[in-house]
Amino acid sequence: MHPDVERELILKCQAGNSQFYEPLVRAYEGPGMRMAVGMMGNVDDAKDALQEAFVKTYRSLRRFDLSRPFGPWFFQILRNQCRDMLRSRRARFDRESLDERLELRSDEGTSSPSRRREQSEAKDLLWQGLDRIGEEHREILVLKELQGLRYTEIAGVLDIPEGTVASRLYHARRALRDALEAMGARYP
Amino acid sequence: MQSRIDHSDLMRYLDGELTPEERERIEEQMERSTELQRELAVYQAMKSDLQNLTFAPVPVGTSVWSQVNRRLARPLGWVFLTVGVVAWTGYAAYLFVTSSAAVVEKLATSAVGIGIILLLATVIFERYQESLTDPYRDVHR
Repeated sequence: MHPDVERELILKCQAGNSQFYEPLVRAYEGPGMRMAVGMMGNVDDAKDALQEAFVKTYRSLRRFDLSRPFGPWFFQILRNQCRDMLRSRRARFDRESLDERLELRSDEGTSSPSRRREQSEAKDLLWQGLDRIGEEHREILVLKELQGLRYTEIAGVLDIPEGTVASRLYHARRALRDALEAMGARYP
Repeated sequence: MQSRIDHSDLMRYLDGELTPEERERIEEQMERSTELQRELAVYQAMKSDLQNLTFAPVPVGTSVWSQVNRRLARPLGWVFLTVGVVAWTGYAAYLFVTSSAAVVEKLATSAVGIGIILLLATVIFERYQESLTDPYRDVHR
C-alpha cells in the first residue's frame, strides 16, 4: 500500500471512521499472520494475537505519529501482543497445528512423495529448532526471514539501535544452528 | 591495515546490508579464509530454509476483519446500552417516587426491585470469582 494512501486512511480512522480501517487490516493481515505464527508456533493462537493487535492498534491510532511508517509500528504492537500471550500462558509455542497450514514453498504440487516427506521432515526440524531457541532469538529471525524486513525496520519493531540488529541476528542464527545440529541436522 | 571481519559484518553481508565498498572488502577477506566461506555457507543454507517456510495461501473470506470490526463496534454498543438503561431506570424511579401510589405499595415494589438487584449482583460476583480459577477459561469455543 502506498504510504500516502496509508496516511489518508489513518487520518480518517483518527477522525473516528472505523470503516477506513478495513483496507489497512487487509493489507497487513498476511505479513502479520506470518509473524504471529513464527512467534506463537500455531495458527489458532496467531490468529488471536493478530486480531487483538489490530484492535489495540486501532485504539492507539489517535496517538500515532503520521510522520512514521505504519508497518513497523503495527508489527511492534503485534510483537508485544505475542509476547504478552506467551508470557501469560494463554499460549505456548506449539507446532502441532502447523502441519496442515504450513508448507514449503518449493516444488509445490510437483514433487515426489519421498521429496515431500523430506521437505516435511526438514520443516518440522526447523520448527523444533525455533521452538528450542526461545522467544528473544525467535522474534528477530521471524522478522528477518519470514517477514523479510530490513535492519532499520527490525530496529524500529524491536525498539533497539540499528547497530545491534546484526549482532542479535548472529546470536539467534548461532543458537538455531546449535539447536539444529543437536537434533542431528547437518549444514554444509 | 584492513580490519578483520566480525560476526556482525558477516550477518550484514549475508543480509545484503552493506555498501558496495564494504561488500568488496568482505569478499576480498573471504577469498583468503576457507573458515569464513564455510561459516557463510552454513548461514546461507539456514537462511534459505527459513525463507522457504511459508503458508498455504489464505482462502478468500477468512480475513480477520469481520472479528476486528465486531470488536471495534462493541464498546460503542455498551456505551449506548448503559446510557439507555441508566436514563430509563432514573426516569422510572422518578415516576415511581412521585406517583400517588400508597406508601405500602411503594415499599413492597421497592423490596422486589432491591431483591432482584441484590440477587443479580451476587450471581455476577460469584461468576467473576469462579472465572479467576476456572481451568477452562482459556479454552476457546
